[in-house]
Amino acid sequence: MIATWFLVTLRTEARRVTAERGGLVVAVVFYVVVVAVLAGLWRVAAATNGGTIAGYSAVALTWYIATSEAAVVALNIRMIDDIGRAIGSGAVAVELLRPVPVLALRVAAELGRSLPRLAACVGTGVVVATVSGGAPPRPATLALAGPSLVLAVACNIVAQHAFAAIAFWIRDAGSAWFLYQKLVFIIGGMLIPLEALPGWLHALANALPFRAMAYAPARLASGHFEPRLLVEQAAWLGVLLVAAGAVFRAGERRLQVVGG
Amino acid sequence: MGIEVRGLTKVFEGGRRRARRSVEAVRDISFTVEPGERVAYIGPNGAGKSTSIKILTGILHPTRGEARVLGVVPWEERRRLAGRIGTLFGQRSQLWLELTPRQSFRMLAAIYGLDRARERTRVGELAELLDAGDLFDTPVRSLSLGQRMRCELAACMVHEPEVLFLDEPTIGLDLLAKQRFRELLVRLNAERRTTIFLTSHDVADIEHVARRVIVINHGSVIYDDEVQAMRRSLLATKVVEVGLGHPAEPIAMCGVAVVEHSATAMKLVVDTAPPRSVPSSTPCSKVRRRSTSRWWTRRSSR
Repeated sequence: MIATWFLVTLRTEARRVTAERGGLVVAVVFYVVVVAVLAGLWRVAAATNGGTIAGYSAVALTWYIATSEAAVVALNIRMIDDIGRAIGSGAVAVELLRPVPVLALRVAAELGRSLPRLAACVGTGVVVATVSGGAPPRPATLALAGPSLVLAVACNIVAQHAFAAIAFWIRDAGSAWFLYQKLVFIIGGMLIPLEALPGWLHALANALPFRAMAYAPARLASGHFEPRLLVEQAAWLGVLLVAAGAVFRAGERRLQVVGG
Repeated sequence: MGIEVRGLTKVFEGGRRRARRSVEAVRDISFTVEPGERVAYIGPNGAGKSTSIKILTGILHPTRGEARVLGVVPWEERRRLAGRIGTLFGQRSQLWLELTPRQSFRMLAAIYGLDRARERTRVGELAELLDAGDLFDTPVRSLSLGQRMRCELAACMVHEPEVLFLDEPTIGLDLLAKQRFRELLVRLNAERRTTIFLTSHDVADIEHVARRVIVINHGSVIYDDEVQAMRRSLLATKVVEVGLGHPAEPIAMCGVAVVEHSATAMKLVVDTAPPRSVPSSTPCSKVRRRSTSRWWTRRSSR
């Protein structure tokens, strides 16, 4: 059962983001520009490659990019930096004084902030992909892409917390943010379908959780009926929660011993 | 028992290998605070006040010693204790800046396990007590510092804590806001019997809010007594600067010493302690005068 405080935090943050229409509009405009440019490039690349790339048609690539970008643009792009600053400046002390786990409270708040942006991007993305690329290759798989997007966002938020917790030790999560972002872009499948990567990199990407954050929903939305991707995402979410929980607990212990 | 501290010591280790150094932030501190007491815990910057509060709220582990707050060892059961204490750090907000205070209270009430009905009643009580109901629906980022601090106080009172830890709560407030804040704390203590443990650099905070004062310096307790006693023994003088419209002779009054004098200003040290049991006919030269001193360097007679 999900705790009331988790739901209240999630709902309050979601309402706040929804009320700030300006922020939502900026996120959606950014998303549309990125999708239009990247999907256009992939369509050109597919056309010069005989109509497909790594088994994806031009239409499938358009829906792939529209979905993978929605999964990432929905998040606070500076989250790792923000979490790192809260830890490094000692502001996290206020959160430690609440009777609930700091990590769970932060995840609830970030999820609440991300879901309205995700909904806005997905709504716009469906229109942009249909207009620029064509109808979805296999509409039935879109039903799976919906929950997969939510799982992708949840995995990303939890993983960013695990990365940002490095600030308990090095006080600056900026470098972690840079590395993390590039990992999601490349081996998370945000910019390139994993099947288009060189063999060794594809194998590496398959073994890491980043594919749960962009590739999984994008693969489903591009017409591939692979429900196991949802199971895989749920499993990665569990693993990431355990890892982030352990890193945060270790960080809190360090804070307790060494000071903030 | 409200707060019980025995031989509390905190040593911070820093640096690496050969450059390793340790700083003793809190050294062998012992005191007790009864439920409902109003205690000022003061000292100069770096004395160990904030470190002590962080240990007592469970954020930090001590290196040695024991402490119990409401019978709980803070660093062992931080989350359990968090439901029974309130904390207010003057330099750190616990409200969500983008939300209104009422939305923040809703989240805090859920976090502390209050149901909707209890939350509404509690927020209504706090609005009345703090005279802040009109502020609760304004986004926190739009509030002035004084208004925000009233809402911060409400936020740390939502779950009806038994002990309130306040770390420099009036920092940055103007004189009127400070005075109002102090009155609120005294009222809270009087009406709810909430134990107040306050740190501040503002002597007026200590005089108006606390009944007892514990002074620490270099990590050790150097004074622990009633505020009245401290005022009599250590805060007996005030410095008054007088601007002069035209040159004047130095003031010659009983209990007033002129320490600086120019054509446009005069700096006086005024003895504010009443010369008790001194007959009015006694010449000024025979009234014992107390000197201004750096009171935190004195050792307690306790």
